[in-house]
Amino acid sequence: MSEMKETSANSKKSKDDFEPKIIAFTCNWCSYAGADLAGVSRFQYPPNIRIIRLMCTGRLEPEIVVKALSHGADGVLILGCHIGDCHYLTGNHRTKKRIAILKRILSYRGIDPRRVKLDWVSAAEGYRFAKIVTEFTNEIRRSGPNPLKELA
Amino acid sequence: MMYYKSVLTTCPYCGCGCNFYLQVLDGELVGVLPCKSHVTNQGKLCIKGWNAHEYVFSKDRLTKPLINQGGRFVEISWEEALNIVVKKFKDYIDNYGPEIFGVLSSAKCTNEENFLLMKFTRAVLGTNNVDHCARLCHASTVVGLSQTFGSGAMTNSIGELEKANCILVIGSNTTEQHPLVARYILRAVEKGAKLIVADPRAIHLVKFADYHIQQRPGTDVALLNGFMNVILNLGLEDREFISERTEDFEELKKVIENYPPAYVEKITGVSKDDLIDSAKTFAIANLASIVYSMGITQHTTGVDNVTSCANLAMLTGNVGKRSTGVNPLRGQVNVQGACDMGALPNVYSGYQNVTDEKIRIKFEKAWNVELPSKPGLTVVEMINEAKKGSIKIMYVMGENPMLSNPDINHVKEGLNNLEFLVVQDIFLTDTAKLANVVLPAASYAEKDGTFTATDRLVQRIEKAITPIGESKPDWQIICELARRMRSNQFEYTSPAEIMDEIASVTPIYGGITYKRLEKDGLRWPCISKEHPGTLYLHKEKFTRGKGRFFGIDYKEPAELPDEEYPFILTTGRIMFHFHTGTMSRRTRLLNREVQTGYVEINPHDAEKLEIHDGEPVSVKSRRGEIKVKALKTNRVPEKVIFIPFHFAECAANVLTNPALDPVAKIPEYKVCAARVEKLSDTI
Amino acid sequence: MIGKIRELAKRWIAEGKTDAIFGLKEENGHVAPNLFIKKSELERLVISPNYSLCYTLRPKNSNIFSLLERKYPNLKIGVVVRGCNERALFELAKRDQVDLERIEILGIACTKEEALECRCPKPYPQNLLVGERVEGVTNDDNVEALLKKTLPERLAFWNHEFSKCIKCYGCRNVCPMCFCQDCRMEKEQWVKTGVLPPEDPIFHFIRFYHISERCIECGECEKACPVDIPLLTISKLLRRDIKELFDYEAGLDVKQESPLLTTLDETLIKRGE
Repeated sequence: MSEMKETSANSKKSKDDFEPKIIAFTCNWCSYAGADLAGVSRFQYPPNIRIIRLMCTGRLEPEIVVKALSHGADGVLILGCHIGDCHYLTGNHRTKKRIAILKRILSYRGIDPRRVKLDWVSAAEGYRFAKIVTEFTNEIRRSGPNPLKELA
Repeated sequence: MMYYKSVLTTCPYCGCGCNFYLQVLDGELVGVLPCKSHVTNQGKLCIKGWNAHEYVFSKDRLTKPLINQGGRFVEISWEEALNIVVKKFKDYIDNYGPEIFGVLSSAKCTNEENFLLMKFTRAVLGTNNVDHCARLCHASTVVGLSQTFGSGAMTNSIGELEKANCILVIGSNTTEQHPLVARYILRAVEKGAKLIVADPRAIHLVKFADYHIQQRPGTDVALLNGFMNVILNLGLEDREFISERTEDFEELKKVIENYPPAYVEKITGVSKDDLIDSAKTFAIANLASIVYSMGITQHTTGVDNVTSCANLAMLTGNVGKRSTGVNPLRGQVNVQGACDMGALPNVYSGYQNVTDEKIRIKFEKAWNVELPSKPGLTVVEMINEAKKGSIKIMYVMGENPMLSNPDINHVKEGLNNLEFLVVQDIFLTDTAKLANVVLPAASYAEKDGTFTATDRLVQRIEKAITPIGESKPDWQIICELARRMRSNQFEYTSPAEIMDEIASVTPIYGGITYKRLEKDGLRWPCISKEHPGTLYLHKEKFTRGKGRFFGIDYKEPAELPDEEYPFILTTGRIMFHFHTGTMSRRTRLLNREVQTGYVEINPHDAEKLEIHDGEPVSVKSRRGEIKVKALKTNRVPEKVIFIPFHFAECAANVLTNPALDPVAKIPEYKVCAARVEKLSDTI
Repeated sequence: MIGKIRELAKRWIAEGKTDAIFGLKEENGHVAPNLFIKKSELERLVISPNYSLCYTLRPKNSNIFSLLERKYPNLKIGVVVRGCNERALFELAKRDQVDLERIEILGIACTKEEALECRCPKPYPQNLLVGERVEGVTNDDNVEALLKKTLPERLAFWNHEFSKCIKCYGCRNVCPMCFCQDCRMEKEQWVKTGVLPPEDPIFHFIRFYHISERCIECGECEKACPVDIPLLTISKLLRRDIKELFDYEAGLDVKQESPLLTTLDETLIKRGE
């Protein structure tokens, strides 16, 4: 974690060579399989991402997202099954509602809610997975380092 | 019978004197609700206050008197226990005279109980050997402020801090130790007040300070003299105040001339610029307040440190006005009260001298007995004399010297050398474990009485539940003992009656009655039944008439680091636990926050010794050794380590130096030399 | 108005409508919650300053009504409540923390001054028995000020405010909605223990998130904070968001289930995702 501490002076200088750290929470049945497919199909996506596999995004408590942002993640990606396709039927329903509230709290707290993205990727959508990851990484690269890092 | 009620009482932890309602359901304590209308805490509490009901019903509470039979504690009846104690007391008085007694009163017990215990010691036992833990925390305040102002108490009240324009906090980790005082300091800062924090450690309050003065531990006199030097050189002293309200200014001036900023920088490590800027800020403020605590008092130069604070306040005309003053923050809930009640070897209640014949005759008349005239021994002296054998019996009420005194190994030897030790407490503390007889006392929730907060506010505590098991309120136990020793001076049916007697012999409490305390408490001096109490002291004149300056020279602490012991060890407290931990370590949430002790060490020092964060290490001093886990933090500067003293298993006081201030007899907890080593047999 | 309230309370006891009355008692100028059993005691019933009546008593982690109901199964209590207290009771009832069948609500209205002081949007209960409804406060200076700030300004603002925090847990302790046996804010796994100020933003985030859809805007959290952190600002904004997202307002309908406990089929996200 210490390597991620940047002073505001440095962050301006290295903004051009800033490589964001993205944490991705995926669900076992859909998005993780989609990530697998992307790999097997050789669809390229940036290496900034670290994937954590959960059985279902419904298991993801918003505190984990905040912890990730506090401990050095510049962006958090949450990828689950499409609505209606959840292996546990309604797990992703919860996720959708929770993340909606989470993003509001982040925005009031002063953290850019766009650093958290919730999207749906099925097991067959390898290309979609790579596309979402690439777009998100570029977006976070443009936003710059997470200002919470200076708090740590 | 079903009932649910809220009983208004005072928090038993620190000297802020917050009030809350104990929630009682059918005789059981179920919670705490802060009092919204209280002048100091206004509906807020710190984490300790919110949980102050939990330890009352801990399963460890002493419920029956105990006798120590060969290392095992056996339960006995009150009749037996009291008889055993009384017989021992009487035998020893007959054979050795009263000077073999040492009595420790309690800063956690009520004013009434402190008054009765000092009355018992003087009128029944016949000695002035009564003292309590104020000796270990604010004895230097009592001496220092008495000699400069004439009164050893906090000059202003807590709430006034909000309107100060500049606050100098020196030697006080206010947000952690007196959170509700820190509230007002932070409010003042939000309003634009300047905050100067002088502390060797980077404490929480530093985040909000305009200046963090990081002086070396034990160099406070030099620092304060440096402030005054800058102020005098810039002509910023309050000349009108000095000429009209003070004396001996020339004495001060002569000494201050020897403390220019460059010299002060050499001693304290504080840069010239910081010193000059912060001194200027303090001096030009309209209303400037000094807040201090253990960092000033717990030194061999404690009295000098306090006197220097008083000097600075008088120099800048900041005494006797609202939102100014010299404000010592008393730690224990009733340490101010215990001092006020005369549980001290040289004064009766109200700081009336035992050597003053007129005063002694007044008390002899009131109590119908001859009283001893020689001042008695102080806490640390009692332990020393116990080791030597000249103190043979000690009666300890609500104190735990086995964890709170310096040089604990020495304390253990001293207490073990006693021929008889009686301990009266709510839990079987480390001190109680060494006793011959243990008497179970009632907690603050189980009795009526009064506590006096750090800003002289006398307030009620109210009985919410019946005492657990067979425990009794301390005042009742003392009365029982006195009666069995043939005294007829202890016929009280309630604490209210005791307060009436206190008022009759103690001018500063003269107007205090339970009826008058019902509404909001009263701040002493409250000299008559019509007097409304006093918000701040020394308004038109000081208690001694004119304030007196003292020229104080810097003296080094008793034990400084050397090659063998290269670190300065400083000790102190943390937010989540309280003093010897008897109450806080029996509270679930507080234990969850901090389970055990640690030693704060600067990362540079840790790296040089190859110590990792959380690693158990050995900390040694000339007094002993403890094993404690290391906490790497920038809070402490290099070459300084900090250990909180709450934890018996890694007791900081095993290491501390029992060197005393020559007048106040307060130990130097804040500075001694220590060594840190990796444990050779770490798993 | 206080005369009418006392009369009504006395009548309820006299007629046996309730066995006891729960309200605020005044003694020597100090006011605190109390259970009135005898009619004569009701002379001391007062209504201000308002206290959080259903706050969670610890370590049992239940509110007083829950404890009374468990101990005295046949007890019927009349409770003197303002708008905020009633909202708390409804939310607690939804979650089986209070049995509304055994509570008789004696609703009283707040005055305009009291509504302004609490910045309350709805200063009257649904079961209003004494007092006139006054308009709630819809504009809140602190909320407007926060909304005007940019993201970095908000970050700096809250960084400063939360750095004052002394981890008293007062905000959680007074909240009627915080009754978890195993509070997450205390767990080392989420928030480093024994550190001041507590780990930011996670410590405060846990509380804001967990009470987001059940906050009744009573304001007790802000009143209990020793270092004057404007906690109510974020809670108010969240309450507006919950209404926008789920068309749900805590404390208004005891039958309406919390949106976080239902699936999307039951409670859609309306708009503003």
